[in-house]
Amino acid sequence: MTPERVAGLVARWVRLYTRGLPAAIAQRRIDEIDADLYDHVAHERAHGTSDWRIAAGIGSRMLRGLAADASWRGRQAKAATDHPLPPEKAMRNHKTAYRSGVGVAIATALFLLWLMGAVGVIGVEGDRADLMYFGVLAVGVVGAVIARFRPSGMARALLATASAQALVAVIALIAGKHQAPNASVAEIVGLNGIFVALFVGSAWLFRRAARRQPPANAGPRA
Amino acid sequence: MPRRKPGTLLPLETEILDAALSTLSSGQAAFHGFGLAQTMREQSGSRSLTGHGTLYKALSRLEEFGLLTSRWEDTDAVEGRPRRRLYELTGQGAQVAEQARAAAGPGQAPGRLPRIAPGPA
Repeated sequence: MTPERVAGLVARWVRLYTRGLPAAIAQRRIDEIDADLYDHVAHERAHGTSDWRIAAGIGSRMLRGLAADASWRGRQAKAATDHPLPPEKAMRNHKTAYRSGVGVAIATALFLLWLMGAVGVIGVEGDRADLMYFGVLAVGVVGAVIARFRPSGMARALLATASAQALVAVIALIAGKHQAPNASVAEIVGLNGIFVALFVGSAWLFRRAARRQPPANAGPRA
Repeated sequence: MPRRKPGTLLPLETEILDAALSTLSSGQAAFHGFGLAQTMREQSGSRSLTGHGTLYKALSRLEEFGLLTSRWEDTDAVEGRPRRRLYELTGQGAQVAEQARAAAGPGQAPGRLPRIAPGPA
């Protein structure tokens, strides 16, 4: 993974968690992180740091800041919506959050499948350990069916999927897959960590959709 | 992240103020997010930079407390890169940073968490 790709992933994450916030607040955070990512890559390259280390550093900063991102978002959203939303707006926000959750979950699953087929996630290309990721995807699919695609159940299904993804990384490390050529502990933890973060991000969106679900009797105003 | 006692700063926030004070002492009043993360890494001797979310959330809290101010840098200074948000210590911010540094002793990272005027977080 190049630093630009990981920076792009961070930029998308920022756009995701600032969605629905007042435009000025969202844009400030987006611009600020964009400048930070640019400065980070430029600084490390100027100091001769390898692309892999830069990418890992950026990914690690994103992962370590996830909890703070969620808490910051919560505070901003609370400040922006101190008054309850009218049902039409609540319904719109609910749909947006649900669709975003579906989009992130599907994109993450497709990205995982592509990575398995193209270069392999664990060990060298074609390593049978990659087949464990079908189990991860199965957890998500079965969870979604059991939840009957309702937002709160989908949030739990995606959290279970993220846990399964983390479990695969642990199994791979116990099995010594990090000793394969071109593999390392950082690579297995970093790559799987990105997928865990994406699945957790999707779960968070479904949770938001569940919270913003308007009451059953809230129809459009006359 | 540790819980905040009402009216006090978190260790990370004190660390940010201390780094900002060092930047100010070196003759540069304004600093930006990545530059600050770099300074903090050097001062603490850590191998990794502060997480994006952790850093910018703390910066926005310090701004809310009136210890920092911020503005966008002039577009003329940008030269083909994204423009940076520039932060500066306020008078109160510099005072709080100096108190924390004095409490920690010479050459030490700020240890005690100074009380500040704003209410609980």
